[in-house]
Amino acid sequence: MTTAASQSLDQLAQSWSDQMAAMPGFPVDGAEPSDGPAWLEPVRRAAADAFRQKGLPGNRDEAWKYTSLRRLPSVAPCLKSVPVNESDGSAAWQSLLTEPTGFGFTIIDGRVTEVASTLPDGVALQTLEDALENPANSTIEERLKALVESIEYNGRSQAFEALNTALLGQGLVIHVAEGQDAGACVARWGQSSEARGHLGNVRIFLLLEKGAKLAYLEQYLGPVGDAAASAGESTGQATSVIIQAELGEQSELSHIRLVKQPEQDILLTFDRLAQQAGSHYSYTGFDLGGGLARHEITCSLKGAAAHASVNGAFVLDHEQHCDYHIRIDHEAGETTSDQFFRGVLGGASRGVFNGKAVIHPGADGSRVQQSNANLLLSDRAEIDTKPELEIYADEVEARHGATVGQLDERAIFYMRTRGIPEDEARRELTGAFCRMVADRVSEPSLAGQLADLLDESLPQTSFK
Amino acid sequence: MLKIKNLHASVAGKAILKGLDLEVKTGEIHAIMGPNGSGKSTLGNVLAGREGYEVTDGEVLYKGKNLLDLEPEERACEGIFLAFQYPVEIPGVNNTYFLRAALNAQRKHRGEPELDSMGFLKLVREKLKILHVSDDLLHRAVNEGFSGGEKKRNEIFQMAVLEPQLAILDETDSGLDIDALRLVADGVNQLRSKDRAMIVVTHYQRLLEHIIPDQVHVLADGKITASGGADLALQLEERGYTWLEDGGIAQVSEAVGA
Repeated sequence: MTTAASQSLDQLAQSWSDQMAAMPGFPVDGAEPSDGPAWLEPVRRAAADAFRQKGLPGNRDEAWKYTSLRRLPSVAPCLKSVPVNESDGSAAWQSLLTEPTGFGFTIIDGRVTEVASTLPDGVALQTLEDALENPANSTIEERLKALVESIEYNGRSQAFEALNTALLGQGLVIHVAEGQDAGACVARWGQSSEARGHLGNVRIFLLLEKGAKLAYLEQYLGPVGDAAASAGESTGQATSVIIQAELGEQSELSHIRLVKQPEQDILLTFDRLAQQAGSHYSYTGFDLGGGLARHEITCSLKGAAAHASVNGAFVLDHEQHCDYHIRIDHEAGETTSDQFFRGVLGGASRGVFNGKAVIHPGADGSRVQQSNANLLLSDRAEIDTKPELEIYADEVEARHGATVGQLDERAIFYMRTRGIPEDEARRELTGAFCRMVADRVSEPSLAGQLADLLDESLPQTSFK
Repeated sequence: MLKIKNLHASVAGKAILKGLDLEVKTGEIHAIMGPNGSGKSTLGNVLAGREGYEVTDGEVLYKGKNLLDLEPEERACEGIFLAFQYPVEIPGVNNTYFLRAALNAQRKHRGEPELDSMGFLKLVREKLKILHVSDDLLHRAVNEGFSGGEKKRNEIFQMAVLEPQLAILDETDSGLDIDALRLVADGVNQLRSKDRAMIVVTHYQRLLEHIIPDQVHVLADGKITASGGADLALQLEERGYTWLEDGGIAQVSEAVGA
């Protein structure tokens, strides 16, 4: 049976394919080659073909069955946005955090509008367009090529990744040289008033050499000022981002992602990490608002004693939706991973946690921990949680758990007997529940600010 | 200050308190002793307003008001404090926040200005000093990972900060070794005041060696079956609760009446 929603998604996929074919210089058969290196054209063509053939995922696809894209056709009928007016672009962003000093870039409406010119020693930062045309050196070009080609398109589930490759162009390449501590890189994602109703496609490459360190902090925010006022009436916009990161031996990448977008918006992120021996990746995500946010995180622990810590909090209200799909592959011995997620759901919101760890043959002595706990503040809210473990190695330590529940009534009574009103007790306990994720941010000032933001974002519909 | 008349209460349909009478005046310390299952903890929970405890008959007047009409937080704001037998662990909520929120809610209720963090810390440091408690406590989550003794000391510390008019100590001695018991009892004695009444609920007499009560009551099968002075506790310790059941009550009551 074909539902109205799937029909319009099929129509949207067709429309996007037609739009791609009509883009000047797009590598369809018989067209002139596009800008960029020769290797890219067949890759883009293959990705565009894969997308055209398979279409968009829907509830018939296991990995997308809870992720409703029914609003996508109205949110993003167009594939490409108009170039951003520079003055509007710089005004279209206002941080929710006191940012650490460092270098960074701004992306408005899916387009890079600003890139830091002053960089720490040992750090290279290029726009992707620039890196493809004038790579800093031949090694980088080889690595970008290998990374872009490494994504295989196995059906509709990867439609957005295929599209991202087909339209590859907007994005950044960050390279940190061996042994360098790059400090903080701040990524500012914002929106202007003029380019709504489109899907922005961006690719970020984070290349960390042996012993390198990088703190990557990104905020995905909506329009500000006058644009924010008019955004309420508009259709919203969609963003699809792929981050491909290579972590050399003993390198460290700390990744913080804060999402607070308008409720019409759709955000799709795909983080793919390849980690060498002794490297550390830590992710802490905060989803505090947005229509639909879907985060796929794939960590491949290739070298001994590599570690991935993937943590997140989502605080949802109204009809918001947040989806986490995590897969951690333990491919070498003594590798460790932990996943720690807290969800607070009010209104008619919906959350999905699908965390998987696979311990491959030979990855002996690996350790895995998974924890996902959720609070439902409304009987219309819904959470689907599925922690998964697959173990094919020996002497492995694995623990996992998932809970869905309400607040501890004994704690509420205890607080009330001290004079704290019931509503405040509930609010504080709910805040405490998700602040545990902020506590996992190692930088104390950021952790404190993120905890405050979590508190401010608690579902208004659930507290007086 | 507190008048309990003919109090009947049940839990999950089962009658626990069956006509309890008790009067506590300002400045007095009353001990309530009784065997397991006599209704000691039910009394504390009914006075604090815990859900699931249904009052089926009788009344409780506190400062002339019907206490049972008030929500638990209103009772706290009116000056009632229950020290829990099993203090609750609250992960993620730190003691400083917890106590300040509680104190300010009570101050607001009384029409006093709320304390800012500087004013609050000053007050709290004084109380820590009096009770010889380390200020590590302030940075920890409420009761999380505390030992049994630390939890009970934290109850007394909260009481010191909130300065209630009527404190009910529910088996505060349970699970404490001798040293911890002495520390807790010393804390309670520091807080004795002519303006404050206390009800000390306990199974054993040993706490009453440190906190000397003005009156001792025996609770058995949901009623006060005997009342006397501090020496009643000693007699109970010596002879056991069965002594009262076997006719000791008459002797004690006479002694009280005499």
